[in-house]
Amino acid sequence: MSASLHVHDVVRAFDGVRAVDGASLEVAPGSITGLIGPNGAGKSTLFHCISGFLRPQSGRVLLDGRRIDRRAPHRVARSGLIRTFQTPRALTRMTVAENVMLAAPRHPGERLGGSLAPRARRRERDVSVRAAELLELVRLDGHAGALAGTLSGGQRKLLDLVRALMAEPRILLLDEPMAGVSPTLRVELLEHILALRDRDGITLLIVEHDLDFVMRASDHVIVMNDGRVIAQGSPDEVRADERVVDAYLGAHHGGA
Amino acid sequence: MFWQLAANGLVTGSVIAIAAVGVSLVYGILRLVNFAYGDFMAFGALAAYAFNGPLGVGMVPATLLGMLATAALSLVLDVALWRPLRARRAGFMSLFLASIGLALVLRQVLLLAYGPQPQSYAVDQYKVYVLGSVRLSEPQLITIIVAAGAIGAIGVLLARTTLGRTMRALADDRALAAIAGIHVGRVIRYTWLVSGLLAGLAGVLAGLVQSSFDPNFGFQLLLPVFAAVVLGGIGSAYGALAGGLVLGLAMELSTWPSLFGGVDPVYKPVVAFAILAGALMVRPQGLFGRARVV
Amino acid sequence: MNVLASGGFWAFVGVVAGIYTILSLGLQLQFGFAGLLNFGQVAFMAIGAYTMAILVVKEGWSTWLAAPLGVAAAGAAGLLLGLPALRLRSDYFAIVTIAFSEIVRYVATNENSLTGGSQGTIALGKVGVAAQYNGQWERFQARIQGWLGLSSKDVTMLVIVWAAAIVLLALVWLAVRTPWGRVLRAIREDEDAAASLGKNVLAYKLQVLAIGSALAGVAGCFYAWQFSFFSPDDFQPLLTFFAWMIVILGGLGRVWAVPVGAVVFGFLFAGTRFLDFPPLSYLGGADRAYVRLIVIGLAIIGLVLLRPQGILGKREEMVLE
Repeated sequence: MSASLHVHDVVRAFDGVRAVDGASLEVAPGSITGLIGPNGAGKSTLFHCISGFLRPQSGRVLLDGRRIDRRAPHRVARSGLIRTFQTPRALTRMTVAENVMLAAPRHPGERLGGSLAPRARRRERDVSVRAAELLELVRLDGHAGALAGTLSGGQRKLLDLVRALMAEPRILLLDEPMAGVSPTLRVELLEHILALRDRDGITLLIVEHDLDFVMRASDHVIVMNDGRVIAQGSPDEVRADERVVDAYLGAHHGGA
Repeated sequence: MFWQLAANGLVTGSVIAIAAVGVSLVYGILRLVNFAYGDFMAFGALAAYAFNGPLGVGMVPATLLGMLATAALSLVLDVALWRPLRARRAGFMSLFLASIGLALVLRQVLLLAYGPQPQSYAVDQYKVYVLGSVRLSEPQLITIIVAAGAIGAIGVLLARTTLGRTMRALADDRALAAIAGIHVGRVIRYTWLVSGLLAGLAGVLAGLVQSSFDPNFGFQLLLPVFAAVVLGGIGSAYGALAGGLVLGLAMELSTWPSLFGGVDPVYKPVVAFAILAGALMVRPQGLFGRARVV
Repeated sequence: MNVLASGGFWAFVGVVAGIYTILSLGLQLQFGFAGLLNFGQVAFMAIGAYTMAILVVKEGWSTWLAAPLGVAAAGAAGLLLGLPALRLRSDYFAIVTIAFSEIVRYVATNENSLTGGSQGTIALGKVGVAAQYNGQWERFQARIQGWLGLSSKDVTMLVIVWAAAIVLLALVWLAVRTPWGRVLRAIREDEDAAASLGKNVLAYKLQVLAIGSALAGVAGCFYAWQFSFFSPDDFQPLLTFFAWMIVILGGLGRVWAVPVGAVVFGFLFAGTRFLDFPPLSYLGGADRAYVRLIVIGLAIIGLVLLRPQGILGKREEMVLE
């Protein structure tokens, strides 16, 4: 069910500047791994490289031991790695229900002409039921028929999350799920994320700036700075690590 | 033969380059693909003709008047059309469609005013200057000299003046520039002014080189101009300059018989597109453009 | 003036509106539903028309074989264009489609032996003989006219074109309501989000480009049959812009808005013929044509300024922004 992720020496540069400069990390199956670091450390770029939205110039990314670093993003997603984006990507002119139903994998009705087969209608019914379940989970079921554009920022984050869940991920990459989220929603989100690991057995790699959340939720923490991994370990180990403190302090003094 | 074609290419290329800078500035700063730009060029060419032909004004003042007229048209349209659209927070598509409507209106107005028959400037088309194996007509030589001057002036404007640097900053990153305290409204007016002047100049030079022109000739020039902007990388004025020169040279040199028999001259615009297509395959962001990040 | 107000004239307008409906339907699918900026739609219309005419005149094919092949050729052209071009960002893609459209017109104008050159399809056959590709179609049209008891050729064509348009509209309408259509709309909204959920964005765009260009090919065949002779100048970029106007006028993202847009546009355009009052009545014929296009251009601008969502669109669903 849950997938493992190995990243070896990934390098990605833009116009000569190395945003990711030889980053390596491992994510154990069924765990929650936090990825932290000051702004500009290369975390989001690394996410793009892992999920296929950017091609690394060198290095390898392995999902359950198989290379995915040269795959197009949709094929990475089909392999079971689903990611969210820093800004919620609600499909605003579609309904909330459609947003979630869209994410269902292996839907014959999504092929051209596929809807002519009776299987497609059955799948659509199943998808519809599952979408309703997931929306209920995050208490968005009342908004199912509304356009996603009418949702608040926090609601859109929840929508992003259940949409990602609908895609049946074996590993989920969350890019700053707590950004701009109200304190009450934060608690709710934390619960949902823990449930993803405990109830659904999904591996999670989460980029976050909210260090409180990271320390509470993560089994393992990885710290990046200047495009490289500078420290990793349990939350306590990382907290005490001098290099991590330096990296954050350095960032404050006009570093990143 | 080669040097003759290269010289012709320089002539064509300079005209495209000047126009391309105008298009590029407007796109970079206003996020507007000005589909009416070709008709601005025709307007400039015909405005200059109005002075040079019937009124017998000399070519140089006529050109300046044509440029000023086009700049004035540009600014008027900003007030009448683009500003209301900006106020409604019109997106890329709205602006593009509006420019299509504008192009239509402008062209028909020119046709109403001048009719479809070709006009010519009062210059001696037959006087030829010979430099080695290259023969240049007077209009061609004038075009190269003026274009070189104009390109130099543009370069100085963009690199050395505050306005130029501001324009480049805005084209690069509008939001950031606004935060940095740049007065966006003023720069927009200057952008239309400069782009209008460039359109007028490019139109007159194109009219000179083609030796006769009608109101429809603007659109025919527009596509190579767009190709130059894209080739150079949208948002980069220097790129547009380079793209224009490259395309002009490529278009002319492609007819060189030693190059697999040479392309039929009729297909020169097709060559421009083919080069554009090829370049985009290899470097999707254009020569000087930025790679797209998710 | 009386001649213009006759039923024959308006039937003709109706036929053109029907042809434009089919052309614009392709565009609606491409832009209104999938967000593709195709500014070369008229080129696919030309490919459909020319392929059909060439096969009938030069190869002696039956119209009933040549037309489907023309449509297929248009669709294939869309696919071939899309394979390299769809990888580009959307504004570059738009420019490439314009370039493609001009290249097609260029080839049609200059390859005399293939297309009859700038003289058009009249020159397709042997020298000195005016080529006709329309024989079979005219006979078919006459049979329908007799069968339905219709008064004129134009009315018959009106019925045939709109019958075809309605069938195609219905098919597209059904298609976009499927999960396939849902993916299209997702791509229009945010293709990165769609890709991150496992959708092969490029494949969908290619399908839509091909289907849309095939529809343009159908419009091309009907155009050819209606006018029985055409030349490259009949396929100027202006027609693509009319199709865009129609799609926006009707309302983006709504299949049945297309015929509404086409009919309104058709009547507006035809209506400009009646601008017969002073000072316009002092203008000569050519000048009047310019004024008509000015009115159309101003209408486009007015539409963008005042009602960008079109006639049937809703403000919140405005796809233009």
